Amino acid sequence: MTDDTRLSALRQKFGRPPAAPDEPATKAATATEAATEAATARTRQPRFEGLVSGHRACQGCGEALAARLVMEASGPDVMVANATGCLEVFTTPWPQSAWRVPWIHSLFENAPAVASGMEAAMKAKGRNTKVLAFGGDGGTYDIGFQALSGMLERYHNILYICYDNEAYMNTGVQRSSSTPHAAATTTSPAGKDRMGKRHLKKDLLSIIAAHHIPYAASASVAFPQDLQRKVRYAMGIEGPTFIVVHSPCPLGWKHASALTIEVARRAVECGLFPLVELERGSLSNIMPIRHLRPVTDYLQLQGRFSHLFDKDDPRAERERDHLQALADYNIAAFGLAGEGGDDAADTGGHAAVGRGGPIAGRV
Amino acid sequence: MAVLTRGAYADAGTSLDFKTGNWRSTDMPAHVHAAAPCHAACPAGEDQQAWFALLQQHDPKGAWCELVSANPLPAITGRVCPHPCETACNRAALEGALAIHNVERWLGDQAVAQGWAYPVAPPAVDAPVVAIVGAGPAGLSAAYHCLRQGLRAEIFEALPEAGGLLRSGIPATRLPRDVLDAELARLLALPGITLNLRARLGRDVTLEGLRASHAAVLLGPGCQEGKEWSVRGAVPTDLHEGLALLRKFMDVGAFPPGDRVVVHGGGNTAMDLCRLMKRAGAAQVTLVTASGLPGPDTDPSDRINVVPRELEEALEEGIEIIPHASINRLIMKGSKVTGVEIVSLRKFTGKDGHSERVSFGGTERVLPVDLVIPCVGERVSPEGLEAVIQGGYLAPEDIWGRLPQDGVFAVGDARGDRGTVAQAIGDGRRAAMAAAAMIAGTGAPPLAERPTIPASALNPVYYPPSRRTLVPVLPVAERGFETEIEGDIGTAAAMAEAARCLSCGNCLACDNCWTFCPDNAVIKTAELARDGSHYVFDLDYCKGCGLCAQECPTGYIQMLPETL
Repeated sequence: MTDDTRLSALRQKFGRPPAAPDEPATKAATATEAATEAATARTRQPRFEGLVSGHRACQGCGEALAARLVMEASGPDVMVANATGCLEVFTTPWPQSAWRVPWIHSLFENAPAVASGMEAAMKAKGRNTKVLAFGGDGGTYDIGFQALSGMLERYHNILYICYDNEAYMNTGVQRSSSTPHAAATTTSPAGKDRMGKRHLKKDLLSIIAAHHIPYAASASVAFPQDLQRKVRYAMGIEGPTFIVVHSPCPLGWKHASALTIEVARRAVECGLFPLVELERGSLSNIMPIRHLRPVTDYLQLQGRFSHLFDKDDPRAERERDHLQALADYNIAAFGLAGEGGDDAADTGGHAAVGRGGPIAGRV
Repeated sequence: MAVLTRGAYADAGTSLDFKTGNWRSTDMPAHVHAAAPCHAACPAGEDQQAWFALLQQHDPKGAWCELVSANPLPAITGRVCPHPCETACNRAALEGALAIHNVERWLGDQAVAQGWAYPVAPPAVDAPVVAIVGAGPAGLSAAYHCLRQGLRAEIFEALPEAGGLLRSGIPATRLPRDVLDAELARLLALPGITLNLRARLGRDVTLEGLRASHAAVLLGPGCQEGKEWSVRGAVPTDLHEGLALLRKFMDVGAFPPGDRVVVHGGGNTAMDLCRLMKRAGAAQVTLVTASGLPGPDTDPSDRINVVPRELEEALEEGIEIIPHASINRLIMKGSKVTGVEIVSLRKFTGKDGHSERVSFGGTERVLPVDLVIPCVGERVSPEGLEAVIQGGYLAPEDIWGRLPQDGVFAVGDARGDRGTVAQAIGDGRRAAMAAAAMIAGTGAPPLAERPTIPASALNPVYYPPSRRTLVPVLPVAERGFETEIEGDIGTAAAMAEAARCLSCGNCLACDNCWTFCPDNAVIKTAELARDGSHYVFDLDYCKGCGLCAQECPTGYIQMLPETL
């Protein structure tokens, strides 16, 4: 087949861009045509789809996005142990599953323990299949924390991913130890007595790093290339590794579903969610922030912080300043402020795209 | 059908069986190919975004083909155009507009150097022939677009060379003659275009004769006659009208003697004359214009109508400009001028919408001069056009250039509401399209009406910072009458400029929608999808969250009310 005939066949099949600015647009596809095209093309995606469509996550779910990105970077030779939580519920409504890899759910608190058993079984069978353990912040920071510590201490070859949406979203937005200071949840409401959650967000990453495991990192759905690089790096390590992924929840954080990425990006750019990597307990890399932004840029997008913008409440400004101080502490502690210029590995460099995809990582 | 086994164990079905698309409550994502502001601003009708996209794919030849689908003379416009595209560029709000003008010139030069063939098929030997009067930019563009419409074109030019104002009214320092000749020769060599030189309307051919012998007549005679100019009735005997003087200088290479010159007017001809006379040795060249200089407080309608960088270069060269002023009185010695009285004035828009000039008494001052040159515009020479001329111009009814006479169209400067080469090229294209539609009997061709995308519709987070290329310019001391003042930016800089294009309103193939969709409802296609992008929305699963539209850098994805 010559190039010309092949090209004309392709054009007939897929249409073509307008040849001239004045050319009228081609006829829109009918619903059936579009659906057939999509269904055919869906089977030929240039990425591994370990988590497929049809799951019941809310519109704009950051966790569903994060899990898909993790599966893309880790699959296909993996098995998953999943703690109870949103991810478990919305991916597996009986009798369907959105998972295209072996997947086990047992209880809220025991995903690391189940994963430990899976890893031991694989070892006994002489298989190299990597075991992943997934949990939300409730299952990781709170309920499954003891099992997680044990898994790390026993040095299982497991990558544990915590999808951090900063509250118990599945059960209706109750505070967790990951909920940031001053955020309103159903169990830490903002009102006369308190401005949202009284306590601070638990510094889980330091606790994990204190186990002296080979690799622990934080990542964000707003920086998917960085997230996937961290997953691939962890996949290459023989031993326990841990990644916490900041995953906005439009329902619980009360922001528009279209703003998931913008909210996550601002969390990183204001310093409240630093992107860092720790190896054997010590800091090995950070993502510098090209343009530092005030925490209010991040807070004002979210209904869970709306009480901090109450002009009649003198406590609001104090709490905003408290959150800014927490961000400033992170920026100083990790040295997050970029050094100007356009570092390809800072927040601006990671975001940059060109024709054909992201610029970061191009040779 | 899943088989239930003992123990109620069920094979897991796939969640693909569950179409979450019916969760969409209001809007669905759609690809909307809005017009980039450069395209919307281009009088010639180029889609700069489209050809920059091809340059980004390292396809200069494809980019040039896309460019010449609207404008067949990029090496020329890339030198003389006032580039409203750059003024409109959305990147201006970031780190400075793209150097569209200079990349266009580079592409045009590449095509000439490498002999890329114009993307037109030869018309049928029996295709209808359109008569075109005038081989200026409008007539040449019209001839080229006639070919693109499947028609043949016969051009009638009064002068012994094609080019019109490009040859007679633009100095070689802006448009070198070899560049002009090379590009025109390539265009005129296209099969289907016949050029008759020394064929003057009214002498060698007549309008009625052309109407009878050709399928349509496109009139692009340009404006050849200077408007009358006097100051309160006084006219110096040695009056030289601006454009005539410029033409004469380009033929004989000398100006009438005069050390102190005042040029009265505010267009590119006035600017060219000022600079040439300064270089020819005039000690003091002053431009008196009723308009204002560009600045943050200047109303766009009040701004002097010259190419911005030409103005900068003129000021560098020591041309004095007196804005918001006019010549109030000539000071004569016999019938020779020795001085002018200048008075400040401003244009005001009256209640009826017409602008009115109000001069301010008490601001009169006298400037001693040797030569006064009016450059206050030209109008159509009526020879052979007596039947169609109206108030000095061929005022057509619409943008297609249709005149009341059947099958007769007016293009270019002769319309009276034009003033740039790019506008003339656009006129030629539209008139050719309208003529083709008329010959085919299909009425007016459709207008491509796409909304223009503003900077606010883009997501600037995803664009890496990138500074505008510096254009090489000849130092003032080396500027003469032959060497081109602006230089070539070169391949590397042209490609770097192309990479700066934001791709406003069109797909950048950046993968953002594909990467960020939480529901895998964006499908990537190996070949181009129906709408020309590389992505398809799988509306069976799209929940309508709007993330893709929010994170699309170019504004190509928009949330629209459900239609399917």
